[in-house]
Amino acid sequence: MKEGFLIGAGVVAAGLVLQLSVGRVVWNTFAWPVNGLVLVGFFALIAIVSLLGRRFYVCQFIGSNRAAIPALFYAVVLTIVMGLVRQDGSGSWFSDMLSFWPFVLIYVYIALILGLVIIRRSLRFRWRRDVPFMLNHLGLFLAMTTATLGNADMQRLKMVTTVDEPEWRALASGGAIVEMPIAIELKRFIMETYDDGSPRRFASDVQILTKSGKRIQTTVDVNKPVKVDGWKIYQYGYDTQMGAMSQISILELVNDPWLPLVYLGIYMMLGGAVFMFVLGERRKRV
Amino acid sequence: MTWHHFIYFALPAVLLWAFGAWAAWRSKSRLATVSTIAGLFVFFAFILSMWVSLERPPLRTMGETRLWYSFFLPLAGIIVYSRWRYKWILTFSTILALVFICVNLFKPEIHSKTLMPALQSPWFAPHVIVYMFAYALLGAATVMALYLLFFKKSAISKEEFLITDNLVYAGLAFMTFGMLFGALWAKEAWGHYWSWDPKETWAAITWFAYLGYIHYRQQPRHNRYLALITLLVAFVLLQMCWWGINYLPSAQGASVHTYSN
Repeated sequence: MKEGFLIGAGVVAAGLVLQLSVGRVVWNTFAWPVNGLVLVGFFALIAIVSLLGRRFYVCQFIGSNRAAIPALFYAVVLTIVMGLVRQDGSGSWFSDMLSFWPFVLIYVYIALILGLVIIRRSLRFRWRRDVPFMLNHLGLFLAMTTATLGNADMQRLKMVTTVDEPEWRALASGGAIVEMPIAIELKRFIMETYDDGSPRRFASDVQILTKSGKRIQTTVDVNKPVKVDGWKIYQYGYDTQMGAMSQISILELVNDPWLPLVYLGIYMMLGGAVFMFVLGERRKRV
Repeated sequence: MTWHHFIYFALPAVLLWAFGAWAAWRSKSRLATVSTIAGLFVFFAFILSMWVSLERPPLRTMGETRLWYSFFLPLAGIIVYSRWRYKWILTFSTILALVFICVNLFKPEIHSKTLMPALQSPWFAPHVIVYMFAYALLGAATVMALYLLFFKKSAISKEEFLITDNLVYAGLAFMTFGMLFGALWAKEAWGHYWSWDPKETWAAITWFAYLGYIHYRQQPRHNRYLALITLLVAFVLLQMCWWGINYLPSAQGASVHTYSN
């Protein structure tokens, strides 16, 4: 397993070189179609390393479960650093771990190992033995890669709606105003409080008009987003000074085209966890 | 029902569990099982009536999650006992449950009925309950590791390692449920399934640490003591995830998981 720790150190070193030469990871550049191309390229890399496994020991090693242990070790250490340093992007590398090359590359390395062991297993697939394995490993692989690469395509916008005024403009996180394919008119803001005045429920009665011609009358509640044309509409906030008398309601509109793939990965992992619990450690080794 | 009534349920439950633990030492396995289960019923009665009187599941504050932890420890204990007949396991689970009960008795956190809208979700109860059960199982695995590392004089048997592994597998399975339920809930409540919130960051760390243990144990040649030490480290990381982040400067005001403060 020494080779695994060496490879991990190499990955971290390569990350540091990248960090110093090209600067932090700029996730926005991964927007479609770049992320699609990167994913195809990554699959190609997995295939090539897999084929080279017969010839080069390193490639064979990366495709074995031994490689997982040092890789997990590095991931744990780097993620602990992330957990100990406030992630506010205040300037230092560690305050913006998600854009820190060594951190990103270690997770890419884990995805590579996952890809290789998945290929290795599927070449000699046996149902009883490998279904739990695939659910766990392929599920994690899918969820990791699509969540990371799909992040640049996710849109999260705030829309400030006012009573009886249809609104179709929303604010992006940078402050840019975006014209939406849907217009939302606030009909009534709903607020219920506990005896001590803290909010029990806040929600918005709205009318939604879409470019596709739909007219929807509905209520957006916290924890109960409304789905329209690929967008999820969330109750986000209100005029806290006015409280129950608020004449505005802030909604968040989220569009994440990669979500189905991430969810497929998550559901596979849930299935894998069922097997993990039921079967436990069957092979009686010491 | 309020925290004031807690002692009237906790005391009989602990006595029943202690009696069960004693019976286990005396190899009276049926008596041990019946007594422990009776204790669980008494304790669960309190949880249930808190649930009813609070008009919400008692899962929000640290005190309330400790309640579940004290419940799941003897439950995990009796499951392990019924399968492997380990005499000491019920003593251990009783003592640990007692520790958490004492914390609740002497440092009570009395809280109001209010539950903020973001927590009013069908995912709330399963997310926390499943996590507490995972913590209980992994706590049992940790004690197993401590016992094998520091107290056992003779060589470690195959069987003992198998128990430890199975506790970790079951614990990790439930931890996976807890984490993914949390992700699915977060998507409905906050618009995204994973935001590297400090709690999520430490949950990922813990999850990877236990994955490391499992993969290491699958190596044909490995150092068993190193494997057991990994378990101890993983459990320390789990504490960080569970309550440590409440005291971590880097997490202050940055987590959606700190309602209790």
